[in-house]
Formats: sequence, C-alpha cells, structure tokens
Amino acid sequence: MDAQSFRELLLSRLQQNRDRVLLRILLSPGAEPVELTGADILSRAPELARRYQAAAESSVVLLLLPHSVELFLLHFGLILEGRLPAILAWPTNRIDPEKYQRNLLHQLRHLPADQLITLPRLATNLAGGVHFPVTECRVENARQLEESFRIPLPLEVPEGEPARPRAGDTPADAIFLQFSGGTTGAQKAVAVTASLLAAQLESLRRCLAFTAEDGVASWLPLYHDMGLIACLWFPLWCGAPSLHFSANDWLLNPELLFRCLDRYRATFCWLPNFAFSYLAAQRGRMKQSYSLGHVRAWINCSEPVRLRSFREFAEAFAPWGVTVESLQASYAMAENIFAVTQTPLGLQPRTFPRSRLRHRAAAFQETAFDLLDDVYVSSGPVLEGMSVRVVNPQGEVCADAEPGNIQLRTECLFSGYWTSGGFITESIVNGWYSTGDYGFLAGEDLYVIGRLKDIIIVGGQNIFPEDVELVVNSIDSIYPGRVVAFGINDEQYGTERLAVVAELRGEFDAGKAEAVERRVHQLVLSTIGIAPRYAAVVPERWIVKSTAGKISRRDTRVRFLRERLNQPQVTAG
Amino acid sequence: MLNPNQVRKAAQEVVAEMIGKKVGDADYLISSGLIDSLSILKLIGNLENRLSVTIPAGDLQPDDFESVDFITDTVLRVARSR
Repeated sequence: MDAQSFRELLLSRLQQNRDRVLLRILLSPGAEPVELTGADILSRAPELARRYQAAAESSVVLLLLPHSVELFLLHFGLILEGRLPAILAWPTNRIDPEKYQRNLLHQLRHLPADQLITLPRLATNLAGGVHFPVTECRVENARQLEESFRIPLPLEVPEGEPARPRAGDTPADAIFLQFSGGTTGAQKAVAVTASLLAAQLESLRRCLAFTAEDGVASWLPLYHDMGLIACLWFPLWCGAPSLHFSANDWLLNPELLFRCLDRYRATFCWLPNFAFSYLAAQRGRMKQSYSLGHVRAWINCSEPVRLRSFREFAEAFAPWGVTVESLQASYAMAENIFAVTQTPLGLQPRTFPRSRLRHRAAAFQETAFDLLDDVYVSSGPVLEGMSVRVVNPQGEVCADAEPGNIQLRTECLFSGYWTSGGFITESIVNGWYSTGDYGFLAGEDLYVIGRLKDIIIVGGQNIFPEDVELVVNSIDSIYPGRVVAFGINDEQYGTERLAVVAELRGEFDAGKAEAVERRVHQLVLSTIGIAPRYAAVVPERWIVKSTAGKISRRDTRVRFLRERLNQPQVTAG
Repeated sequence: MLNPNQVRKAAQEVVAEMIGKKVGDADYLISSGLIDSLSILKLIGNLENRLSVTIPAGDLQPDDFESVDFITDTVLRVARSR
C-alpha cells in the first residue's frame, strides 16, 4: 500500500463513521470532553493543517504542542495533506523553561525537518535559531503554559550553521514519524509507512477481535508508540471511539482513568507496568466506585511485566469487576510500529519460574539490569505474520527457556531511523532485527527479562544513561568523565528509578557534595525530564572501573546498592 | 480548624522523611528533583494521615506542592476534616 492509497482508505473510514464520535479529548479533569465525529475530523483536520503548514508536500513537520485538540487534528490533518508529522515530547511542567528551550534548540538545529508548529511564545523564542520555519499555533487553555516560556530574549543561539535537511530521506510511502528515544542529543525517529501501519493495525485487530463496538481510554502521550498507535490509531482505524486525557492530569487524579472507562464503556486500556502498581497503591484515595467489568483487556506494555503489579491491581479492583483474566500483556516497540506479541484475551498470562531458566550465557554479563522476580510473566505468542527468535552471543538460536537477544522478523518491521544524519537504514540481517532486549521463548510464549542495552525504563519512558551522564558532566565541580547513571528497581511501583553517581573533583567536602547533589537533581530533571531518585556525589576514584580501565556501570551500581542502599546481597551476575 | 503552624510543622516533617533530610521552607522540591511526580500522591497521603484531614488532589497541580511554603498554603486552602 502506498501513502496515497492509505490516505484514501483513511478518508473513506472517516467518511463511513461520519456521524459517529471517534475521538473524545478531555482537556481538564472537571470538563466535558471535546467530541469529534468522523465528519468533524474530515473537515477540521485538513483545514487546520492548511492553516498552519508552511512546508512542501512530503516534508517533515514537527509538532511540539501540549495535550490539545489541535495536536490530534494537526497529526491527522498533516497526513491527509501529504506531510509527515512528527510529534515531539511536550515537557512536564516541572522542567526549567530556559534550560529546556536551550536543549530543545540544540536538538532542533540538528534535525533535518522542514517546519515546526508550536505555541506562539515558544515559536518566537526558537525562530531565530533553526533553519526551518517555526509556526505559531494557538491552543485553548494554554495561557499558563505560554507564561512558563516567558524568558529573557533573545535565546542564545549556538554558533555555527544549523543542519540542513536532506531531500528524499524518508521512505516514499512514509506517512508520519514516531520518535523512539533520545532525550538530549540522540533524537531518532522511526519512519512509519503506509504498509507497515496498515499491517500492524490489521494484525492487532484480528488478534484482539477488536470491533467498532469496543473503545479505548488513555492518558498516554502521543509521542509514545503506545499512546499514538494502540490508543489513537488502532481504535480510529477500526471505527471505535477513544478518549484521551493528559498524563499530568492522571498522576494526581489516577481514578480519572476509571471514571472515563466507566462513563464511556471503553473496553481496552493499555498501560505501562508501573501504572498497575500506582493505581493499586492509590485505591484508598479513590472517592467513588466504578463499574469496570466491561473492560475486556488491561494490556501491560512498554516495561517488563511483573506479576506483583498484576496481583496488586487485580486485588485492589476486583470489587469493581476487574478479573485476573482481563489482565493481559504485550511486547511492543516503535521499530515494529507497535505490538510484536499479545497474550490471548480471556486467559491469564502464563508465568515461568526463574529457577527453571537454562544457563545464562557468559557473554551476556554486560546485560543491563533485569527486573528480578520469582517468576516471569509471558508477553504472549507473536502476532500473525511475525516471527521472533532468541539468539546467543554467537548468533546461534537458543533452546527453549534459554535466554538471549530477542530478534524479530515481521511484516511491520521498520527499515531505519530518521536522525540528525538523515534517514539511516538499520542493519537487518536476513530479515532479522536485533531488538537489544533480553528474554526467552518457552513454548510459543515470549518472556522479556530486560535490556541488553543500558536503557533505564522509568515509568515506561526510556532513558539513555549516556544522556544523563552527558548532562551531569557539564557541572564544573564534577570530575570530568566520572559520572555513571543506572536504573534501580522500585518494588513499590514496579518500575525503575534513575540513580546518578558522580565524583567530586578535588578534596572531598561533604557540604559541597550535598550542594552538588542538589545541582545534579535539578539539572537532570530540567534537561532530561526525569528526576533522579538518587544522586550521589562521591570522592574521586569511588566509581568502579573494569580491569581494562573502562568505567563499569554495572559494578558501580552494585557498589552503590551495597554501600549506599544497604543491599549487601546484590551481585553483578 | 487547622492551625498554620501545625500544618507547616507536619509539612516539614513529611518532606524530611520522604527525602531523608531537612530542607528550607522555600526550597523547591519538585522542580529541583528532590521529590518526583510519582511521589506527590504519597506526600499527600502522608500529610493526610499526619493531620487527620482529606486533601482532594484531583483539581490540584504538582506546583501546589513545590515547597513547604506552598504545601502549607495548599493544605490550609483545600484540606477538609475527616
């Protein structure tokens, strides 16, 4: 399917559902949602896109907007108008506006885009520093957000010419870009093509037996594949309604999700693992009771699935109709557009005892830290038309229950990343893509243990330790290059927390170390968007190096856990 | 009726327990990264227990808990007796 055929198909599906509400966008917890039928999307989305677009057909248009009706409509409108929208992460309201904008400017100068659409004040601040047009888009209820970007002008523009876009970079049938990681320097996006997206949505529809009578409620942001593909595109493609509200509103008002599921009879809910524990922990605060028995599937995705989180959720909400059979799991990634596996609905996901795993291959000792549980929870069998295998460091296919590198060969597999260097084709050998995830197959089921790459997953968000280390290294008092970032399990919320260890330059002084620790907290939060749970400024030579003289994140983490968090049982293996 | 001094003392103690050290009443807690977003409801719950009140969080923003000073104002403004 080419991009034009896809657009025609999308138009025809919107036309078929012209009188049906397909989108509900809740702008604040106490308000009524804005409702958009197929006809509303058909008329308003292209009109809005035409009003703001300043780039030629097939060009990349970055969208940097808060949760708003405009963000949803511009995403669809730009696609229908033949542009390639790419949604950038909107910062949390805890981020420092000035540092955020400087970091953003640095990123934007290196992206081969053709236009940015953002809030007026941000547009004013950024316009002089990038090589493409920056267009103002007014958004309802954004006055407070606009105020936060009131900084002294001009914003300091880095020296040197900004990167220029390279023509014809993306695949010909691309319809939008989906960012897959990188918070400071290494922004990269997957080019979502018409054929890949259609294959993913159809595969998911068959697997979940999803119909127009179903519905989705979500607080997941659209710059995340789970928010964009599973919660927005998938129901819309099937003619079913979806309701969206902001993650910020959900954090302080977790029961808002249940209120929406109940009121709009939504039947599917995708959540990262931590959200199951978080919701269960907040049960006592919830003021009302809800009817949730109609929810066909609560799908745990984007973090390794933990049995404990499932149990807490099921126990807390059983009185409202949540059953263990409705708790499901999926393994998904932007590189595959979304889902690779899915547990069968109506059955509890299988578990596999940790003690029954076959040996762990020696060469995987550098594996990033897996999430320890007594049992692993299955992410289910692969979807139709997809294949998964697990290989050892020699590239040999592993036996059943033997962990290794998870590889995919699917009809939804991307071909490369759109990066600061243009579109870079990913190395895919004989059709197999190495995910960098560590897991095993047992029977037909895939079990995901953790990451081979040093990625920290905090609340479903991927954090690259290199990004954090780069930011902390910019602090004067830190010994250059002697910074390590890693993840630490948070048992309460079933996710990871970010820890940073940095060596103080010169003679160690506890008072000075404490002041620098505060600086580390503030700087990481303001630039990366995630607050470190732990920031330890330590004397010189505290950080552990390997015998080859290279800093070891893994061994430094072990030392930190033993000496700072009093967990003597922790080992590196 | 809550006493402002009692609320401030409770806020100081709850914050100190959560982050493992005392901070100044005007020190930023959330934008400084000392308290992360997942912990705000825990902070509210601890305050509720300490003061035997209910703090309706649904219409509040993380900014309302940005410092001991802000927390004190917020609790005095919205807390209801249990």
